[in-house]
Amino acid sequence: MRSHRPYTPWLLVAPALLWLAVFSLWPALNTGVLSFTNVHTLSGGQFIGLRNYSLMWHDPHLRDAILNTLVFMAVCVPLLTFLPLLLALLVQRTLPFMGFFRTVFYFPVIASAVVVALIWQWLLDDRGLVNGLAEQFGLIHAALPFLTDRWLLLFSAIALTVWKGLGYYMVLYLSALGNVRRELHEAAAVDGAGAARRFWAVTVPGVRGTMALVAVLIAVNAMRVFSELYILGGRTGGIGGQDVSLVMLIQQAASGSDGRLGYASALSVLLFLLTVGPLVLLARWNRRVDQ
Amino acid sequence: MRRIRTGSRATGTLTNAALAAVTTLVAVTGCGVGGSNGAAAQQSVATDAPLKGEITFQTWSLKNDKFTPYFTALIKDFESQHPGTTVNWIDQPGDGYPDKVTSQVTSGSLPDVINLPPDIAHAVAKVGGLLDLTKNVPTLARDYVASGLHAYTYADLGDTAKDSYGFPWYLGTDVSFWNKAMLQRDGLDPANLPKTFDELLSQARTMHDRSGGKDYLMSRPPGLSDIVNSGTTLMSPDGKKFVFNTPAAAAVLDKYTAAFAAGYLPSDVLTSTYEGNSTLFTKQVVAWTTGGGNYIQSTQQSNPTLAPQIIPSPALDTAPLYVQGISVAARSKNLPLALAFGRFVTDNANQVAFIKLAPGFLPGSAASAGDPAYSRSDGTPQGDASVIAYKDMQTAVNFTPPVWTDAMNTNLNQQIALAMTGKESAKQALDNAVDQANQLLGQ
Repeated sequence: MRSHRPYTPWLLVAPALLWLAVFSLWPALNTGVLSFTNVHTLSGGQFIGLRNYSLMWHDPHLRDAILNTLVFMAVCVPLLTFLPLLLALLVQRTLPFMGFFRTVFYFPVIASAVVVALIWQWLLDDRGLVNGLAEQFGLIHAALPFLTDRWLLLFSAIALTVWKGLGYYMVLYLSALGNVRRELHEAAAVDGAGAARRFWAVTVPGVRGTMALVAVLIAVNAMRVFSELYILGGRTGGIGGQDVSLVMLIQQAASGSDGRLGYASALSVLLFLLTVGPLVLLARWNRRVDQ
Repeated sequence: MRRIRTGSRATGTLTNAALAAVTTLVAVTGCGVGGSNGAAAQQSVATDAPLKGEITFQTWSLKNDKFTPYFTALIKDFESQHPGTTVNWIDQPGDGYPDKVTSQVTSGSLPDVINLPPDIAHAVAKVGGLLDLTKNVPTLARDYVASGLHAYTYADLGDTAKDSYGFPWYLGTDVSFWNKAMLQRDGLDPANLPKTFDELLSQARTMHDRSGGKDYLMSRPPGLSDIVNSGTTLMSPDGKKFVFNTPAAAAVLDKYTAAFAAGYLPSDVLTSTYEGNSTLFTKQVVAWTTGGGNYIQSTQQSNPTLAPQIIPSPALDTAPLYVQGISVAARSKNLPLALAFGRFVTDNANQVAFIKLAPGFLPGSAASAGDPAYSRSDGTPQGDASVIAYKDMQTAVNFTPPVWTDAMNTNLNQQIALAMTGKESAKQALDNAVDQANQLLGQ
């Protein structure tokens, strides 16, 4: 067998490295750099030190944005980690029409986030289907302010996100469940373990790696929540901007011919740091459980 | 503040090392940092040079069956008057026009002659992208209407406060339009239409009560125009800070808040499901909207059953002024030709011909402003609307200062929404909006 030259591996990975450098590393570095300038969309920037970070500290919307984003993540992560697993357990069985149900559960995943949000907007509007039916059945006398109350709007966006994400994570769990050995379940059953006990003692440990991955993916996606809140709550982020998310703040700061790109970059750096935090915690937790 | 330099040196401390690294990175990554260049804007164009060569002319959503023949003839006329010249006409779609212009500026591909409203022109002029017309057209003040020129004169651009960056092209204003059938159905007199905001409120109450809350007269949240109409000055006399948090402005907000709470406005007026005043008027949910002088004519095509019901009246309180203009790119490679074509498009004869295609608008040329043809109605509601627009335009005011950005507007809308839902007092909301606008102004 002919021996390879030492630089051959580097040649092989060079295209990928180049791609990574140009489209990931460079923009990330550039964002960090811009965060120390006052560059606008049309005008060049000057170095202003930490002023953008100081402005951020005094931004009246930032506290709301961080709180909303963290609440969004805190609720989405457990819901979307466990509910798809239960769903996967249900559709894992080989029963008639199960393929149909799997497709139905997966359907929201392939629908555009914008379309889904618009449908939910129609459902939750003051004169929407949900309020209409509730009034019809005498459950309420005045429309529930799903789209105007701060917390109802936030939890509506969470419900939408969970509904849309269920199918995707269900598929991940389906493949993971295939690797959980049936003999373990049978042995536990012989030992007298019920369904719930087998779930916690056999299934969960068997898919724990996938659960950690799913939790990480959800946490990252939750930190970047935008379209759900943007469409349900409007471009200002609900009444008075109380439901604004961090990404919405970045979008607001950077858009238009007077876009404050330097400030938006500083917000992006903050978002990056806030996203990395939970990921490190999750990774540590996962490692500890492994040990 | 200091300019970023590539030669910053670390001086030993960790902080300095970090700063040096950052400044070096700025230079290395080429983040687009660079100052505005006012020299190009202030250059003198050799207007006596023979015209030749090629330029690009950009309009905003005007390439259609109605206007294409006009522009084709206009360009042909210019080219035949100046043999050896070529004008390439491009048109951009209506949506996202500011973004398109922004990308053209940043990529250095701004067309030589370009249709820009004052706010977008301000952003481009701020970075030295537009030619100062005052310096190059001695008859500018004599040839164009003062209000139109004023819209392209920016007090915040340093020493150039007397400069103008656009030829006024066509002017518009808002006319009030009312649904006669809805007014009569709810016991309101179409011959006694509201003239002020307070009269509007009063009749909105009547309509709400008599229709059992099904019909609305008002359906738009307040904005900057309402604040100005309260007699409030938006900025300090030196133009350096916003000062619109006045008791009068708060009083107007309070009136809106009370009307919203009483149900005189649709409940979703503050939400993302709000369809807009004009759409609700078209759906006959709302009996009042505002629109350009040719609104009835356009409704005649889009909604023939509604059009006969529409009656026009002057805008409430002070009418807004909308200005469209033609600017010349400061970095055009053929400035003499670009300047000549900009003047040609906006000369009196060509503006008058253009306005004939768009009734309800008024030319931005001084010679046409007093033309009696605009002050005669043919007796139809559309004719009346055109005349109302003409009359209102004499006193109309451009409510939005050029330094008013999208971010400021977003903040104001958020604060207004908080006030209208009772989460903040009107005064507090205005204080917050002013604070935020001033912070943004300083950035």
